[in-house]
Amino acid sequence: MIFKKTYPFSAIIGQEDLKLVLLLNAINPKIGGLLIRGEKGTAKSTAVRALAALLPEIRVVAGCPCFCNPDDQDRMCERCREKKSAHKVQHQKVRVVTLPLNATEDRVAGGIDFSLAIKEGKRSVLPGLLADANRSILYVDEVNLLDDHIVDIILDAAASGENRIEREGISFKHPASFVLIGTMNPEEGDLRPQLLDRFGLCVDVAGEPEIEKRVELIQRRESFDLDFKGFMNRFEEENHQIEKQIATAMESLAGIRCPKHLRAFISELCAKNLVAGHRADLVMEQAVRAYAALQGRFEITTDDIIKIAPFVLAHRTRDAQPPPPSPPPPPPDQSEEKLSDDMNEQDQPDETEKPDDQQKEQPENAANEEAQSSGEQPDEADQTDEPEQPGEKTSPEQIFEVGSTFAVKKIVSPRDRVSRRGSGRRSRTRVSLKQGRYIKSTPGNRNNDIALDATLRAAAPHQLKRKNENGLAVVLKKEDIREKVREKRIGNFLLFAVDASGSMGARGRMAASKGAIMSLLLDAYQKRDKVGMVSFRKNEAFVNLPPTSSVELASKLLAEMPVGGRTPLSAGLVSVHEQVRNYLLRDPSARPIVIIITDGKSNAAMGDQKPIEEAFDFAVKMAADQRVVYIVVDTEEPGLVTFGLAGHLAEALGARYLKIEELKADQLVNIIKEK
Amino acid sequence: MEKNKLVYPFVAIVGQENMKLALILNIINPTLSGVLIRGEKGTAKSTAVRALADILPEIEVFENDPFQLNPEDEFDFYQECMLTIYGKKISSLKSVKRLNRKVRVVELPVGATEDRVVGTLDLEHALKKGEKQIEPGILAAAHRGILYVDEVNLLDDHVVDVLLDSAAMGVNTIEREGVSFSHPARFTLVGTMNPEEGELRPQLLDRFGLCVLIEGTREPEARVAIMERRAAFDEEPAAFCKEWETASKELTKKIEQAITLYPKVIIERQLLFEITSFCLDVGVDGHRGDIIMLKTAKTLAAWNDRQEVVSADIEFSAELVLPHRVRRQPLQEIGENVKNLRENK
Repeated sequence: MIFKKTYPFSAIIGQEDLKLVLLLNAINPKIGGLLIRGEKGTAKSTAVRALAALLPEIRVVAGCPCFCNPDDQDRMCERCREKKSAHKVQHQKVRVVTLPLNATEDRVAGGIDFSLAIKEGKRSVLPGLLADANRSILYVDEVNLLDDHIVDIILDAAASGENRIEREGISFKHPASFVLIGTMNPEEGDLRPQLLDRFGLCVDVAGEPEIEKRVELIQRRESFDLDFKGFMNRFEEENHQIEKQIATAMESLAGIRCPKHLRAFISELCAKNLVAGHRADLVMEQAVRAYAALQGRFEITTDDIIKIAPFVLAHRTRDAQPPPPSPPPPPPDQSEEKLSDDMNEQDQPDETEKPDDQQKEQPENAANEEAQSSGEQPDEADQTDEPEQPGEKTSPEQIFEVGSTFAVKKIVSPRDRVSRRGSGRRSRTRVSLKQGRYIKSTPGNRNNDIALDATLRAAAPHQLKRKNENGLAVVLKKEDIREKVREKRIGNFLLFAVDASGSMGARGRMAASKGAIMSLLLDAYQKRDKVGMVSFRKNEAFVNLPPTSSVELASKLLAEMPVGGRTPLSAGLVSVHEQVRNYLLRDPSARPIVIIITDGKSNAAMGDQKPIEEAFDFAVKMAADQRVVYIVVDTEEPGLVTFGLAGHLAEALGARYLKIEELKADQLVNIIKEK
Repeated sequence: MEKNKLVYPFVAIVGQENMKLALILNIINPTLSGVLIRGEKGTAKSTAVRALADILPEIEVFENDPFQLNPEDEFDFYQECMLTIYGKKISSLKSVKRLNRKVRVVELPVGATEDRVVGTLDLEHALKKGEKQIEPGILAAAHRGILYVDEVNLLDDHVVDVLLDSAAMGVNTIEREGVSFSHPARFTLVGTMNPEEGELRPQLLDRFGLCVLIEGTREPEARVAIMERRAAFDEEPAAFCKEWETASKELTKKIEQAITLYPKVIIERQLLFEITSFCLDVGVDGHRGDIIMLKTAKTLAAWNDRQEVVSADIEFSAELVLPHRVRRQPLQEIGENVKNLRENK
């Protein structure tokens, strides 16, 4: 065991909820895992690793890489099933298998055994972490940072209880039923709903508020670091007791049944909380049984259910209203309501159609998702044009509400042949990382990411002629080497440049603009884009938000953004340029998308030039960088006298030009596709 | 670091006392888990970190061990590593040569790929011999040493995740391209950054035990001294280093003394309350702040040759430990004066 110095479970102070749900999962694997959410430094990872020491022993087939159960013929891997003679049995502790964030696909699912292939010319499977984790605990630290296609593999296995390998010329399947435990810090972004639902329970942890306990905590930690052995001895006895408690509870678990009237209570609870599907009900029953077993009882009580329910419902409860950003008080209009529902469920199209199929639900593919979102028509998007703020035009600064939001179609940057690195879910691109789906192979070796199957195929015709010096089955030369070309989606960088001058406040234009930006932000959130925001008003530009992944921040700032003063367009452009330049320095292959929302009426210059000329000069210079995609959204009021300055700006920038009337999702999102 | 290349001596750095102290504290107590040095350009950030190499204490390692394991209590890992990587069986501790060498400063370049950081398959070996051999990465080299990341805020997100992973667990796990392997990786993370170029993610921020803000000194005298010393070093590095040799040695000695003293340092219960209430007052996430603050205060006491923590230690450690941990409004600058913050709340 590599984690030699593991902090003992019994020495963890406070975090009673966390400890309880961990024990429940150890007692009853059918609960289906645990998600631990919490701020940093709250013993999340410590607790999970400490749990490993307390886990019970199970009977496994000796030497089986999947740790098959010798007593369960139906759920054995192919190798064990084919074996005619009786299985050798050995006892082994349930383990905590760690899935590191940088794990590659072949190590997670399994892949071809490299050594055997070259040395003996055998095609053989090297099982991956999912095999390792069979009948054990699969632990992912910072699970919200895990790469999407790895998440898909895990979801697939978790749903079916087995892992199928169909890649690189091998076909193999093995059982993979594991308890999935993940920790995450919500500051770093959220989880996809499908993955969220896979976790049976969810617990939120926070720092200990009591001073006494905090003092005890730092004392223990320090003595653990200073005198490891002494510390372990101190808590050994308690640890043993918990271990015994788990073992006893596991034995009694089978005898605990949930009476019918309590089942009704459970489903009522779930229904009241508007959970999707039926997994919550099932998980709750399992968890409550485990809880009763842990308490040494054979009867389940209503109190048990009340105690456990929060952990089951925490991540499944859906508000009747969609989560932020809350739309402005909508007129009693049906289409609006439907709209908000759609927003809420964008990622789970199956649910609205056939909620009963929840357990059978396979992780749907991206195409499905796209179809769903593009099918939505943004009705009523610009209704906030109406609410005028009478009498406020004279006040220098005002804050407008965020106009109603709408579902956005896909915005992607054009596909090219450049390999990038990054994470996210917006634009499909080739990646120069050892992540992503292996789509094909190419001669050469740039990333040390060798495609073994293709390399062997390339080497095959030459085998007769080559001298075999090392006694290997296959002789490989440098020219045989084929490299994997991988593809995955990565996020873009969206920079919003918002004109917040007084002229923007007219007739609720700002509210409508804010609504549009918010819609894009929501989309960016789901696609894991980076966003940034620059606003300009009075005499200068403000970087409201440097490039960040935290879309919540962006939406908060957007809502609070005041409007008033002059229009220093050139300062805004300079600020945009600085942000984009810095971003490109960091990631030269990035394709930032800059969305400038303005009426173009620049009236504050930085230098001696006329404001408008200065802005256009800057714009021409900025347009020189082909890597940046610009979009100008004109907010000028339509009327008899228009200046069309934003149009000129767009021209100077080489940008796509849109009037605010055309800002509805349809128009905006197609821009980049057309290019 | 190359052997013959002379680095500017640590002791010859003018001013920047907080930065120097934070680095020294981390040498004395590696469990402080690192320093983040925030500051403008040209403020001797990198010079100071590179200069550390000179004053670092010695540790015992196995000869030619790419994983820098500790012969005292990591022999079983050594056996395992040698077996899985080189297929060498090592039966007894005595059969392996050990040697003493200085703690290393390992530099992580900003452009480093994930492969280089965590380690990867030695492809050439694999193709020629059909055996999988692991080429250890930077994290292996940094075990028990100092991992230095210049411009840490410009680091690739993927690499940051990997760093966080290992920093949190003290273990680097390689699960890539058919290789499954773990090795200990406990390192002191030293990062420098210029806040103008972007902030760090909160999660990574929290991993740095201490944080110092530095700026160029405004005093003309000190500025002149900096220029003079730098010029002298550039002209005749050898002579310059020689001049500072005694001071360097003294510092090393003082550090070594503090290391032996540290386990003996005691702290009154009353002061523990002082620490936690300080953290609660300014508002920090989780408990890492409390823990690091205790360690820092104790290390400070040891550095000052005391066996007991005094409340001045705690006040001072708050300045180093809390600035980057205080919960902030979005985009709020990292505050410099934690004490004020506490009084204002």
